[in-house]
Amino acid sequence: MIRIAAVGDVHVDKDVVGRYRPALEQLPGVADALLIAGDLTRHGTVEEARCMAGEFGGLGVPVVVVLGNHDHQSDQQDAVTDVLRDAGLVVLEGEGTVLELNGHTLGIAGAKGFGGGFAGACASKFGEREMKNFVGTTEAIAERLGAALRGLDCDALVALTHYAPVPETLTGEPLEIYPFLGSYLLGQAIDSAPTALALHGHAHHGSERGRTPGGVPVRNVAHPVIKQAYNVYQLLTDEVDAGLVSI
Amino acid sequence: MTPQLDEYVEAEIQRLLAETGSVAEQGITIARREHLIVLGGEVESAQRRDEICRQINQHFPDVEIACDIGIVRAQAPTEVEEIS
Ligand SMILES: [Fe+2]
Ligand SMILES: [Fe+2]
Repeated sequence: MIRIAAVGDVHVDKDVVGRYRPALEQLPGVADALLIAGDLTRHGTVEEARCMAGEFGGLGVPVVVVLGNHDHQSDQQDAVTDVLRDAGLVVLEGEGTVLELNGHTLGIAGAKGFGGGFAGACASKFGEREMKNFVGTTEAIAERLGAALRGLDCDALVALTHYAPVPETLTGEPLEIYPFLGSYLLGQAIDSAPTALALHGHAHHGSERGRTPGGVPVRNVAHPVIKQAYNVYQLLTDEVDAGLVSI
Repeated sequence: MTPQLDEYVEAEIQRLLAETGSVAEQGITIARREHLIVLGGEVESAQRRDEICRQINQHFPDVEIACDIGIVRAQAPTEVEEIS
């Protein structure tokens, strides 16, 4: 059994420091790892990244994150990534990592993702250069995410994105903005590998549960959606472990 | 005189909240009532909620605001979901 704590859209700045910490201190007894689905900061500044690293670093469990659109706002995403990595967080952008937890291996492939929409109402690489760039950006990210997922050898495989891979977990958002909230290309990448769980954020007014066309469970863990410090998901339930911890 | 709360004002407020550095919120809902706008959604701190109202007051002094913005709770969970 592996237990994963997950949250997204924590949007940390000075005013948030300390709010999550009491719940985070409980993590080692509650989950084996913490995954954060992007929008780690408000404006993607180095100062905010330091606040984020202080709040979510040194937890006693591995912390794996992807960046969100807010983390790109100041064009300092590389410096933000460095600050987070220096604090011991694993930052994924089109790549994967394998954690050894409880005698099992958990593979996580992560990418920010991007928009474009979903079957029946999706953007195409056609017309103006800006439009082609928009769709091309999502295509490139989805391709790397799929390759990272397929490249991991592990007992349980999790996909971590900021943008949504399916429209179901956007329910509650205005239909008109779905193309800015996610893309079916991310779902297709997730379905190209034996993914056990897909986590995303970004849709603050969305809903928690969905599935990809290929049947992979999807959870929108945006903080305003889950309304607590993090959710805990249990994988490999049938596996027998010694020394189970319960919440 | 009551200002007209039309779609343009709504769009301008929406962009103000996203693009103003001290706010940077894309998840605030704006509902137009006859004489006021009702703000909804959730943010990470009370300071952020107050700053949203301050910015709107400053840029649209004639617009009356009802603020229903909440602060997202950050307590630890009590349940685990089994994924299958
Ligand atoms: Fe967000
Ligand atoms: Fe976002």
